[in-house]
Order: sequence, then C-alpha cells, then structure tokens
Amino acid sequence: MRRRSQALLAALVLSAVAACGPPPGPARTATTATNSQAGSPYGFAPAPQKDGKLVVWVDSTRLDAAKAYQAAHPDVQLDIVTYDGNANGSGTLKTKVQLFNRAGEGWPDVVFTTDNNTASWASQGDDAFVAPLSKGLVDQATLDGFAKGALDVCTVGGVVYCLRNDLAQVVLWYDKKLFDEFGYTVPKTWEEYQALAGKVAAEHPGYLVGTAGDAWAPEIYMWGAQCPANQVTGAKAITVKATDPACVRAARMIDKLVANKTMSMLPLFGPDFAKNQGDKVLMLPGPAWYGGAVFQGALKTPKGRLAVGDALHWADQNPPVTGNVGGGTWWLSRHTARLDAAKDFLTWVATADAYQVDKSPGYPAYASAAAKWIAKQQDSGYYAGDIAAPITAAAGQVWPGWGSPEFSQESIWAKTVIPGQTAGKTVESLLPEWQTAIERQAQVFGYQVAR
Amino acid sequence: MTAPVISAAAAPARSRSRSWRPAAGHVFVSGYVVLLVAFGIVPTVYALNLAFTDSGGRFAGLDNFVRTAQDYRFLAAVGHVGTYLVLWLVMLAVLVLVLALLVHRLTAAWSRATLRFVYYVPGALAGASSVLLWLFMLDPSVSPVDGIVRALWGSTFVAVVAPGHLPWIFTVIAFWTGAGGWIVVMYGALNGIPHEIIEAARVDGAGPVRTALRVQLPMLRKWIVYMLILSLAAGTQLFVEPQLISQASFGVVGTDYSLNQLAYLYAFDQNDFNGSAAIAIDLLVVAVCCAGFFVAKGGLFDAD
Amino acid sequence: MRISLLVKGLVAVVLAAFALFFALPMVWLVLASTKSPAGLVRDNPLAPGSLGTLLDNWRHLMDFQDGAVATWMGNSVLYAALAVVLTLLVSVPAGYALALMSFAGRRLLLIITLVVMLMPATALVLPIFLELSYVGLVNTTASVVLPMSFFPFGVYLTYIYFSTSVPASLLDSARLDGCGETATFARVALPLAKPVVALVGFFSFTQNWNNFFLPYVMLPNSDHYPMQVGLTQMLAATPTFNPVVGAAAEVQPPELVLATLLSITPVLLVFLFSQRFLVAGLTAGATKG
Repeated sequence: MRRRSQALLAALVLSAVAACGPPPGPARTATTATNSQAGSPYGFAPAPQKDGKLVVWVDSTRLDAAKAYQAAHPDVQLDIVTYDGNANGSGTLKTKVQLFNRAGEGWPDVVFTTDNNTASWASQGDDAFVAPLSKGLVDQATLDGFAKGALDVCTVGGVVYCLRNDLAQVVLWYDKKLFDEFGYTVPKTWEEYQALAGKVAAEHPGYLVGTAGDAWAPEIYMWGAQCPANQVTGAKAITVKATDPACVRAARMIDKLVANKTMSMLPLFGPDFAKNQGDKVLMLPGPAWYGGAVFQGALKTPKGRLAVGDALHWADQNPPVTGNVGGGTWWLSRHTARLDAAKDFLTWVATADAYQVDKSPGYPAYASAAAKWIAKQQDSGYYAGDIAAPITAAAGQVWPGWGSPEFSQESIWAKTVIPGQTAGKTVESLLPEWQTAIERQAQVFGYQVAR
Repeated sequence: MTAPVISAAAAPARSRSRSWRPAAGHVFVSGYVVLLVAFGIVPTVYALNLAFTDSGGRFAGLDNFVRTAQDYRFLAAVGHVGTYLVLWLVMLAVLVLVLALLVHRLTAAWSRATLRFVYYVPGALAGASSVLLWLFMLDPSVSPVDGIVRALWGSTFVAVVAPGHLPWIFTVIAFWTGAGGWIVVMYGALNGIPHEIIEAARVDGAGPVRTALRVQLPMLRKWIVYMLILSLAAGTQLFVEPQLISQASFGVVGTDYSLNQLAYLYAFDQNDFNGSAAIAIDLLVVAVCCAGFFVAKGGLFDAD
Repeated sequence: MRISLLVKGLVAVVLAAFALFFALPMVWLVLASTKSPAGLVRDNPLAPGSLGTLLDNWRHLMDFQDGAVATWMGNSVLYAALAVVLTLLVSVPAGYALALMSFAGRRLLLIITLVVMLMPATALVLPIFLELSYVGLVNTTASVVLPMSFFPFGVYLTYIYFSTSVPASLLDSARLDGCGETATFARVALPLAKPVVALVGFFSFTQNWNNFFLPYVMLPNSDHYPMQVGLTQMLAATPTFNPVVGAAAEVQPPELVLATLLSITPVLLVFLFSQRFLVAGLTAGATKG
C-alpha cells in the first residue's frame, strides 16, 4: 500500500517535471539559422531591429567612456551596466553569454572586456556572440586608423571582431635619478640589460631591474623573445614550442637575474612588494600602463624621476620586437536589435578624442588619439625626459607571433611555472612542464596541437 | 506543479485506515513541495538528463562520465578533495562538539552569549569579502599572525600557498567561516535536552565527560548526523575556499583544484554543460552513498 | 578540588584560544577600515589608523559609481527579507508535518529533500536559469527571491527540532481536546517553535544575504545587484586585483574592507536578535503536558 502510493507520487512529480521543464531549445536552432545566412551585407544576419535602450556593459574604469558618450549624445537612450570586465580571469562575460545562448535572449549590445581570449570563444561556431566588424559594418578607414597590430587580438581567420580600446606594449621603465646617481646608461638590448643587472647586483645589491612574480611574466619576457610557445595557427589549431632556443635564452635570463636577486619574485601588486621592495626599483620592463598603475598608483614614485627607454630587444632580432600585457577591447553583439546605435557607440568610445584623449587611463589603440594622449601625458610634467618617442615606437613593434587562444596563457604560467620557481627550480628546467601544461590546456579546449 | 494538490487529493482514499486524517500533512507540506519541485527536482532531473546526453541532446550513455574522468585534471582533483575531506570532517565534528559542550557548561550567561557571538561572527563573511582578508592573513609580510604563518608554511605568500599546504589552509578557512554556525546549532540542541535527564545522570554519579558521552551526544544523534551529512556534501563540493585563494594568489593556485571547480570550468569555460553535469552527478552519487550510510546509522528519518 | 580547578583553567584556555582564532581576523578587518592604502601595507597590522582616514574611506566608498553601494545594500535587504518571509511560511509547517504527522510520501519527501540538498549547486544554475527565463522572470526580484525561498536546510532544521524536542504525546492531548490540525499547529506547536523559527529565519537570512551566484546569474542589470555581487565588482576595481585600472583607481583596499564591514552588519544584527529567541526557552514546557 505504502510503496504503491509512493510510486504514484513519484510518477506525478515526474510528470509535473515534464510539463514545466524548459523548452528543448528553439533558441539554438534560431542562432544556427542566423549563421547560415552569411549572405548579409555585414557577414552576419542582424536580428530584427527594434527601438529601445542600448545596453552596454563596461567595467567600473570604463564607466567614464559610457558616460562621456552619453554626454556627447544626450538623445541616445543608454542602459549602462557595470560588471567586473573579466578582470583577474573571472570569465563573467563568457559565463553569462553561455547562459544567454541557452535561453536565446538577454545579450548586451556592446561589451568591454579586459582579457584577450574573447575573439576565439565568442566569434566561432553556432553560438557565436560577437559580430564581425570588418565585413562592411565598420568602414575600412576606421579600422586602418588603429596602430599596427592593435587589432590582432580581435582577429580570427582574417576577420576583425572588436575594436581595441588601449594598447599595452612593453617598454623599459626606469628611474632616471637613480641611473644618473649610479652612472649607468640605459640598456637597449636584453644582453645589455643582463650585463647591467650583473653590475647592479655587485655594486648596489637590493635594487631591482625587473619582476617575474606575476602571471604576465611570459608576456613580457617570452613574448618579447619571440618564444614560439603560443602560435595560434587557425581557429582551433595551435603550435607550441616552449623549449625552443628563443624560449631557453629568455628563461636563462630570468633564472640568472632571480639568482642574483635583481629580479623580484614577488607579485608586483601584492602587499609584500609595495612594503619591502617598492622603493628599490631601478628599472622595470613592462607594459605602457605601468606608468600610471605601478609607478604613480602603487609605488607613488615622485614626480620627475620616471623615464621610459626603448623596448628591449635581443641583439639578433631584426626587426626588433616587444611583448604586450593586456589592453581592453570593445565588442558588438550580433544579436543586437539596435545595430546602428550599437555601432555608433562602439566606434565613438574606441576612437573619439572626447574619451580616448581626455579620459582614458591607458595608451589609446587608435593612432591619432594616441598621439594626442601621449602629448598630454608628456605635458603633465610627471615624467623625466621624452616618453612619447619610445612608447609610440613600441606600439608598432609588438610581435604578432604570440596568439590569443581561447584559454589563458597567463593562468598556465601562474599555475605551472611560478610554484616551480618558488620551490627552487629554474625556469629553464620548467620549460618542458610548461610545454605539457599548454598542450593539455589546448586539448581541453579542442585545439589541434602541433609541436 | 500540480503534484502536491493531486497527492493531497489522493490521500483521503487512505484516510479511513488511519486514526487521524492524513490529508492534513499534505496541506502542511504543499507550499514547500511546490518550491521543491520548481527549484530542486526539475533542475536535478534536467542535470541528470544533461549528464546522459551529448550536446545535440542524443542519448550518450556513460560517454560524458568516461570523458570527464579521463581529463588530466580529474584524478588530481579527486586526490585534493579526498585529502581535504578527511581533514575537514574530523576537525569539524570533533571541535564543534567539544566547543558546543564546553560553552554549554559555562555558568555565566554573558560568557556563553559572548562566546557564541564571537565564534559565529566570521560566518557573516562570504565570497568576495574574504578574498582580501585571506590575502592579507596569509601574506607573512603584512599578516597580523605572521609568526604563525611563517612557522607553519613559509616566508612569502607564494610559498605559503604551495600545493602541500592547501588542504590545511582550506580546512582552516572553512572551519573559520563555518564552525560558528554549527556551534550555535549544537548549543541550541544541547539546550533542548531536558534538565531532568542531565540531573538524573548526575545523581547516578556521572561526571561531565561521562554525561557528555553517554547522555548528551546520543541525544544529539540526529543533529550530529545532519551536520555530518551536510558537511560531507559541502566538503566534496569544495568550491569557495580554493576559488578565493586562487583569486588572492593571482592564479598561482589554479581554478581547477577541486571537482566542483572542474564542473564549473566545464560548464562556463569550455561550454560543455554535459561534461559538467556528469561531474556533478559523480559528486552527488558519492554524497548520497555516504549520506545513506549516516542516515541508516543515525535513524534520521524515524518519526519519534 | 585542585584537579577540577586545573580542568576549569584548561577549559577557559581552550575557549579563549578559539575565541581569538575566530575574532582576530575580524579585529584586523575593523582596524583595516581606518587606515590609508599605504598604511594598510606599512603599519603594524593590529595598530589602529585614524578616524579621519575612516571618514575619508567612507566618502570614497559612497562616491563609488555615484553611490552604487547604497543601492546594493537596499537590494540585499529587499531580497533577503522577502525570501526569509517566504521561507518561514513554507518551511515551518513542512518541517512540523514531516516530524509529527504521518502521511503518505513522508519518507519519500525526506529522502528527496536530502538528495536535492546534496546536489552540487554548480549543476543547478543552468536549469534554474532556463526555467526562470522560460517564464520571463529573469532580471526581476522574483528571479532571486523564489529560488532563495526554497530552503531545504530549514525544513530539516524544523523537522529535527520538532522530532527531538516536541513529544508527539503533547500534540495528541491537544487533538483530544478537540483542536483541529491547524489549530494544534497554531496554538501548540508554533509557540514551542520560536527557537527553531529564529534559527531557520536566521540561517535563511544569512544564506540569502551572502548568496552570490544566484543574483550574479539572474540579474544582468547592475542597478539590481545585491551587495555580494557588488562587492565582487568592487574587488575587480581595486588595483590589487585589476592592475590595469591605473593611478586613479576607483576602490582602494581599505574602502573594500569598509564595504565588507558594511555588508556583514545586518547579518550580525539579525544574529544578535535571533540568538535571544534561540536561547530563551528551547525546552520551556516541552516535556510537560
């Protein structure tokens, strides 16, 4: 008796489940249909257009961009949403887009992100989220206005999917006052840099020439060394050669400087560094945004001391190249029902002087804005000497051989190499482990891996 | 959503065989059953469905389970969770009961209330709020307990979060945030034991330890079983602690430390909801098996 | 005599040591909110800052995104309070019935509840999102309040409380007196249930207040964020966790700490309030009758 009634209840519950379960996914088929209509003027079929507010997602730093746009366009109805911007690898956008894809609704119209993986996961497949921009939506003159290589992180298979907000080319930051005091000359190549580090270790122990405690160490040292550990060769193909001689020589350099204690292993933005090593920085190879974020912000370097040298390069590199750490990007949803408004917003925030020159904290990717922005920084009087020439030159030198796959190279380095170094191993000895870790991660994401 | 109504209506047929009307019970649980179906059963069935189908919705047998188990991160995560679970369950069960019993024995009411409050306070802290806290607690250069951190784990933050130390660190964090709530529950349950019974034990010459072991703990049986089951589930589903240490360590501790994190990565990083559901079902099976054991031993479902 | 004194001393030491363990990080947190960003790193961790700095931090915090913190706090209060009311309305009768009434499917309901409780939350996110999206509730207050109101933990607390602390004989006598089931519940069981109502209300409130994932997924509009989602966003706006924000960072660590303290205050208040009921008379009258 009791059994049977329980079974009955279970059956009823299950039928109730079936009755109010979610639909089997008409949304997915709709998306597929959209993709198959590739004959549209923009390379994708826009959704039916409707009136309404334009939904833009920005991080709290780029809230200024949306506000500036609103101020310049008072009649446009904006719904500004602040989110974490994928900072610290949070993947918020990816999580939400995957839920929206399943539900078939809810996507924002324009999005800002700070990672460089978005193009590879959001532009391909049936569930593609971002719209191609270079197939007629954004005119070629605008796209050509960006610095050379600036749109590489936006590009998959020759199609551009985003506009770059700011560049993050690696240059050499140094303390001019200390250089003058110690009587050193600013190095031009990594070879000179190593030699100088040896002198610093002997003559002024405690002073630092660089840091390797952060996840972006590979982007500063390996990328700049043309280490072929991250060559994305197709939408789902990658070539990984982490034990290549180019990587080995960069690894040996890190090992040597860590050993003679001129290279810090503390995270640059952790409390330990600010407390114990913040005032010991002689020079620091790092991206363009270090000037504001590290020296002015975290280390509070006084006015008139900080200078910029040309990006370091290996003597035999021809042409000289450099690395890149971060830099934000703007994306347009292919599901937007307000395509014209979205396009106008996107191009404005990425190119207009009213934001990029007047308000942007980073080096603009749009070349004409960049020239004015750097002049403004120069005029601020904070920096010692000419910073415009080396930063502008480095903007065009970022090596294009370091790709932007769907997974984060930063997190692989942080998880594999840094704990190894902490345990006393050298980077050189960790290269095979690094290789394996990249390969495995690539395979998890369905990449064809070549060695 | 019609289940409770129908089952309540179906019940009167049996009412004649019972002493009082069974339909009343169904009315009492009906509101809860609606929510249970909507936010418990339907999602669970949906997840089960995902686990046994492929991305196109076709039946896939055990493919998702095999595929995820062969992932290079899977076995490592099983090891991590296993180690953590042992540490965490033992520490929680022993210390929570000991502390609840000790606090309960205190004679001054203010000291009992104060201690309960102090033990509970960290429970109010969650998620993002704790990331910064633990970054500073575990970094020997700025920690208020730098001596202890240095002695136990190392002199820099990165050394502190070395793989071997992690189960201990997660246990400490989970205990710090979670134990207070359970101490309060156990304290309340101890209060629920009638004075006469304790008095009787004392008259029989039982000391505090004997009273605790022979009288109080057996009477808390259901509460203890309940705590063990939930803690076990929370332990196998370890997520928050490694996630926040990963954030605080800027990624040196990966986001794939535990199985639940792996399930999350499958769903929202790799867009593989089927694989994710398979890992979740793995966890559910383990938790249900252990819970079944505890339930049978502890008589949790007996209506007294 | 001497041995018992020694034992007492030992007990005091153990209790005090754990009190220190639980309290010290919280003390640090309170002190941190009174420091400048540089002071937080350089000064002694357990030295207080100054009142002026605390006020500065407070002003910066309130300026963040034009007062977003106040909006988030308001949202949190709304969601948590609504969900607590709903939770109590459904859980207490359910737990009572499960413990003290016998009806078809009782055991099954207990088992299903337990199984659902053991289900990893990561697996439930997608289905719940799809359900609510299907009925058009995403981005509404209901999309967080309804799932939060499903609180099996509370049903179990009530169930265990009634089944261990309230003898069935007590209720039987009420029934013999001619009370109907509803009257028995309202007149006899509910007055006895005060401690467990406080307990369930408290745990439900804490859990709702601290719930990050549900509102994170359900509410794509930042004006609807509750505090926990807002805090995550603030964390991502501090230079420590998002270096790219530059020199004019929006949030500095002490301000984040202050926001944290602000966010836990309601939970602590509710704890203090419910603790009174919890301890008041767990057994009062329970064994008589």
